[in-house]
Amino acid sequence: MTAVALRDVSLVHPGGTVAVNDVSLSVADGEFVVLLGPSGCGKSSILRMVAGLQRPTSGQVFLDGVPADDVPARSRGVSMVFQDFALYPHLTVADNIGFPLDVAKRPRDERAERIAEVAEAFGIGDLLDRRPAELSGGQRQRAAMARAIVRGPRVLLMDEPLSNLDAVLRSGLRAEIAGLARSLGLTVLYVTHDQIEAQTMADRIAVLRNGVLEDEGRPDEVYRHPATMHVAAFLGSPRMSLFKAYVQVVVDSHVELHIGGQAIDLPWPDMRARAVAHYDGEDIAVGARTEALRPAAPGSSGPVLKGQVRHLEHHGHETLVSVDVGAWGVEPCGLHELRTGELVLRVRPDVRPVHGEHVGVHLCLEQLHFFDLANGRRIGPRGRRR
Amino acid sequence: MKLRPSVDVAPGRSPRQAIPFLLPALVVLAALVLYPLVFSLIRSFFDATGDEFVGLRNYVDTFTDPRTLTAFRNNVIWVVVAPAAVTGIGLILAVLTERIRWATAFRLVLFMPMAISLFASGIIFRLVYEETPNQGVVNAVLVGVHDMFSPSSQYPGARPREGYTPTEAGFIADAPARAGDTITLPLVGFSPQDVPAQALPASVPAAGNGEVRGVVWLDVSVGGSAGKVDPIERGLPGIAVEAVRDGQVVARTTTGDDGRFTFPDLASGEVAVRLPSSNFALPFRGLTWLGPSLITPVIISSWIWIMTGFAITFIAAGLSAIPRDALEAARVDGATEWQVFRRVTIPLLSPVLLVVFVTLVINVLKIFELVFVIAPGSVQSEANVLALQMWQVSFGTGGDQGAGSALAVILFLLVAPAMLFNIRRFRRERS
Amino acid sequence: MTLVAEEVRIEVPVSGAPKRGVLSRVAARLGNGAIQLLLALVAVFWLVPVFGLLIASLRDESANTATGWWTVFTKPAELTLANYAELVANQAVWQSFLNTFYIAVPATVLVVVMASLASYALSWIEFPGRETLTVVVVGLLVMPIQVALIPVAKLFGAFGLFGTITGVVLFHVAFGLPFAIFLLRNFFAGIPRDLIEAARMDGATEWVIFKRVVLPVAKPAIASLTIFQFLWVWNDMLVALVFADQDSAPITVALRAQLRQFGTNIDLLATGAFLSMIVPLAVFLVFQKYFVQGVLAGSTK
Ligand SMILES: Nc1ncnc2c1ncn2[C@@H]1O[C@H](COP(=O)(O)OP(=O)(O)OP(=O)(O)O)[C@@H](O)[C@H]1O
Ligand SMILES: [Mg+2]
Repeated sequence: MTAVALRDVSLVHPGGTVAVNDVSLSVADGEFVVLLGPSGCGKSSILRMVAGLQRPTSGQVFLDGVPADDVPARSRGVSMVFQDFALYPHLTVADNIGFPLDVAKRPRDERAERIAEVAEAFGIGDLLDRRPAELSGGQRQRAAMARAIVRGPRVLLMDEPLSNLDAVLRSGLRAEIAGLARSLGLTVLYVTHDQIEAQTMADRIAVLRNGVLEDEGRPDEVYRHPATMHVAAFLGSPRMSLFKAYVQVVVDSHVELHIGGQAIDLPWPDMRARAVAHYDGEDIAVGARTEALRPAAPGSSGPVLKGQVRHLEHHGHETLVSVDVGAWGVEPCGLHELRTGELVLRVRPDVRPVHGEHVGVHLCLEQLHFFDLANGRRIGPRGRRR
Repeated sequence: MKLRPSVDVAPGRSPRQAIPFLLPALVVLAALVLYPLVFSLIRSFFDATGDEFVGLRNYVDTFTDPRTLTAFRNNVIWVVVAPAAVTGIGLILAVLTERIRWATAFRLVLFMPMAISLFASGIIFRLVYEETPNQGVVNAVLVGVHDMFSPSSQYPGARPREGYTPTEAGFIADAPARAGDTITLPLVGFSPQDVPAQALPASVPAAGNGEVRGVVWLDVSVGGSAGKVDPIERGLPGIAVEAVRDGQVVARTTTGDDGRFTFPDLASGEVAVRLPSSNFALPFRGLTWLGPSLITPVIISSWIWIMTGFAITFIAAGLSAIPRDALEAARVDGATEWQVFRRVTIPLLSPVLLVVFVTLVINVLKIFELVFVIAPGSVQSEANVLALQMWQVSFGTGGDQGAGSALAVILFLLVAPAMLFNIRRFRRERS
Repeated sequence: MTLVAEEVRIEVPVSGAPKRGVLSRVAARLGNGAIQLLLALVAVFWLVPVFGLLIASLRDESANTATGWWTVFTKPAELTLANYAELVANQAVWQSFLNTFYIAVPATVLVVVMASLASYALSWIEFPGRETLTVVVVGLLVMPIQVALIPVAKLFGAFGLFGTITGVVLFHVAFGLPFAIFLLRNFFAGIPRDLIEAARMDGATEWVIFKRVVLPVAKPAIASLTIFQFLWVWNDMLVALVFADQDSAPITVALRAQLRQFGTNIDLLATGAFLSMIVPLAVFLVFQKYFVQGVLAGSTK
C-alpha cells in the first residue's frame, strides 16, 4: 500500500523560482526512500509539501491514498526531523520528546512510558533531564528522532539529518537510523545530498535535479543504469568520467566511436549499438566508471585508448590515476560545457605509474554508458525498469 | 511551465487564524492612536470650543503668537545643539571606553539617568543649578573658584555715614585734608557681629605733625551717637585707605586693629582721602542659571546628562560590530590610528551614528517634562518648547483645543520625516 | 595585561616611519592613565547630581535652606530619615506612590500580552496586508502623544474614563504598543522557522505554538520589553498630568504642586523625587542587561 504519493506536483515560489517541477513519486508502506540531489534542487520543498507545511502550486499529495490538500500539518500523522534538529531550546530532552504527546493531550502515565521507551530505543535514556544546548550533535540528532517518532507517525520525514554532524558520527548513524527505521517498520522519506547515504540507507532512491525527478529505483539499479548523465555523474565515487565521442556507423559491422583522434568499436551485436547508430555523424557523451577501465597489458587487443598520466591520487588501499587520452570532457551539471576529459583508473597501490608516463587504458564495453549530449538522457534500449 | 506562483500558505492555515491574535492590539491602536490622529487633524480647523470652522486660522495664530514663536525658536536651538552634542560626546566616550577595563561599569553609570523619570531628573538639576550658592552646587563651586582668585572683601556693603561720594574707585571724601588733620571715618551698613575678632575699641588719634591721621570704625551701636566714637564701638582693621591728589594716588595705607591709619610724610598741599571699593565689594553669588537668559542651555545640559549614556551604549555596540579585519587591514596598510579612525571607523559607524542622531532628534522634539520641571514658573515662557506649549494651550492656562490641536499636528509633521526614516530603515533591513 | 598590550599596539608604528596621527600623539602623551582619570571624572560628574539629591532628601528643611548638601561631609549628624517618614505618612503622597504601581503594573502586563499576540501573527501567520500592517506599526513608533491628548480626553470623557486609573492605563497601553510590537516582532521573526514548523508537525495549533514555543523562547525579549515598558510608564508625567485626577495621580504629578517654591521645598521635593526613583533604580540595577537591550532596541521611541 502506498503511504505517500505525489502526483504531478509543482511548486513555484513567489519570486518565480520553480522549486519543484511536475514530480510524481510514491513511497510504499514501510519503505525507506531517499531523495537525492544537489543543493537547491527542491528536496526540502518536496518534504515540506508532504509534511503539510507548504501547499503545492499544482498537483496533489496523497496520504494513504487520500488527497491531503486541506489537511493541516498537525493532522497528517506525519512527523519530521529537521536539518538543525529544531529541538525546543527551553525544554529538557524528556519534555522535547513529550511535546507531541502533550499537545495531543495524552494521559500522563502513557506519556512517561512512551518517553522512556523511545529514549531507550535511541540510547538517550540517561540524558532526559538535559537541555538541547547541553547535548552533543549526535545526541541532539537522536533526541530529534525520538521526538519525531514518539507519536507513532505514519510517515517519518527527514531533511538532511546527518549533514550537521562530523564524518565519523555520520557513518555510524547511517547504519543505526536505517536499522531502527526497519526494526520499527517506519515509512521514511529521507532527504540528502550525500550519495553514500543514499546508497547505503535506501530501499529506493529518487534523484532530483532543478526540481525535476530524473531517476528513481533501487540504489544498485540507479547506479548501474543511470537514466541521465547528471544522475550518472552524481552517483559513485570517484565521479564517472564523461567525454565526447563522434559516432560513425560502419554498416552491418560496428559503430565507431571517435574519441580525441582515437577510436573504439562498438560491435553490432551489442544491444546499444543500434541506439547509438541513430547518432551517426553526431557527437554523444560516453561515460566510464573506474570499474570499466583498467590498464591495458602491453600488446593486448580489444578496445584500448592510449594516453598520458596526468595526475595521481594515493588513497592508501588504492591509487587513482587520471589519464589524458585527448578526449573532450563533458560537464553534465552546467551548460554541457566541454573541457578536456580524463579517464580515471583505479590501480593497486603497489602499481606505481609515473607522472607523464604513456599508458594504454582498456575499456570494458559492457560497462560504458552512452548519453544524448543535448538532453543528457541515456542512449540505449528503453525499459530497464518501469 | 506556466504556473502562477503560490503564496506561501500551508494547508489548513488560513488568514482568519490571525484575527484573535491581532484584534486586541488593533482595537486599542485604532481607537487611541489612529482615530485621534485624524480627529486632531480635523479639530485643528475648528475654534476653541470646536463649534465653528475656522479654516487655517489656528495655524496662522500659532505662527504669529509670540509665545509659540519662542517655543519654535527654542526647539530649533534644541535640535541644532543637543543631538549633535550628545552624539559627539557619546562617540568620544565610546571610543575612550574601549581602552579601559571598567567600561561596563562606566557605561552603567552613564546609562543610569535613562532609568529614572524626567521629572526626577528635572528636580535633580533644579537643585544643581539652584541660584543661592548655599543650595545649588554649581554656583557654590563657581563662588569657591571665584573667591580663590579674587578673595571677597572683608566688609561687603559697608559705606561711610556721610561726607563721601561713591565713585567707581571707591568712596572719596568731599572735604580735602592736609597734613596735621585728623579724620574720623564712621562706617555703617555692616553688622557688628561680622566685625573681625581682633578689632579693638576705636579712638580718635591725636593730630600728628606733617601727617594725616584718622580712624575708621563701625558707627553702629545701641545708644551710641552718630558720627562720634562711642566707647563700645570698635575700629575696623584691615581697611585700605588712599590719599589722592589730582586723581593720582600719592599714599596708601591700611587701618590697624583699632581702626587707626596714618599717612606720614605727606608733602604740603591738599589730598582727598579715599576708601577703595575693594573694601566693600559685595561677594560674588554665582550666575542666575535659572533666569531667562541661561535657562535653555541649562535644560539642554540636563538632557545631555540623561541621553549621553544611551548614545555611548548604542555607539559602543556599533563599534564592537565593526569587523576587526577591516581595522587591522588598515593598520597593516600603514594607516595611523587617527587615519584608521577617520577613514575606517567613522565611515563604518556612520549608519549607527545616523540612527543615534535621528533618535535623539525625535526625543528632543518631544521634550516636555524637563522644561516643565526645571524652568521656574516665571521663566517658563522663555524656556518654552512646542510640546509644553501644546499642553499649556490645551490643558494648562489656555484651554483652546483648536490651537492645541494645531500645535499637535505641527508636532506630528515635524516628527514625520523621522517616521519615514524608520520605515525606510525597516524596509531595507528586511530585504 | 590586555590594556598594556593594546597600548603597545597603538604606540608602535606599523611600517616605516609614518607620521604619527593626532590621536596616537594624544594617546602617547596622555597614556591610558589619563584616559582612565578623565573617564573617572566623567563618571563622578554623572553621579554627583544624584548623590546631591539623595543627601538633600536626608536633611531637614532648615538644613537644606541654610546650607548646601555638600556640607554634610563636615556635619554628618544632620542626616535624618525624617523627610521620608513624613512623606510616607502623608496620605496624598503615599496614595500617589501606590497609584504609580496601579498604573504601571497593568499598563505593562496589557502591553506585553497584546503585543506578543499581535507580534506572533505578524511574524508567523500569513494574511493579506501583513506587510502593510507591520510598516504602519513601525511608523507609529515615533508618534508624538500630543496628537492624541485632546481627542482621547474627549473620548475618555464620554466613557467616564477621564480622571481614572483605567484611562491612564489605556492611554499608556495604546502608546506602548507600537514599540512593544516592533521589538517582539523582530525577535519572533528571528526564531528559526524550523522550530515553529517542528511544533506544527508535532501537532500544535497556532495557540499552542505561541504559548509553548514562541513565548518561552522569546523570554529575553519579553523581559526587556517588560522592564522597558514598566519604567516608561512609571516615569511618565505628561499622560498622567492630562488624564489623571487628584485621586488617581501618580507620584510625579502629585509632587508637581510643590515645584512653585522650589527653594523652600527642597526637602520635600528631593525626598519625593528620590522615592519615585527608588523603584526604577532598583529595577535598573537588577535587570540592567535587559533594560539596556530594550532601550537599544526601542531607540526610536
Ligand atoms: N521561500 C522561498 N522563496 C523563494 N524561493 C525559495 C523559497 N524556498 C526555497 N526556494 C528556492 O527553491 C529552490 C529549492 O529549494 P529547496 O530548499 O527545496 O532546496 P534543497 O534541495 O532542499 O536544497 P538544500 O540541499 O540546500 O537544502 C531553491 O532554488 C531555493 O532557492
Ligand atoms: Mg533543503
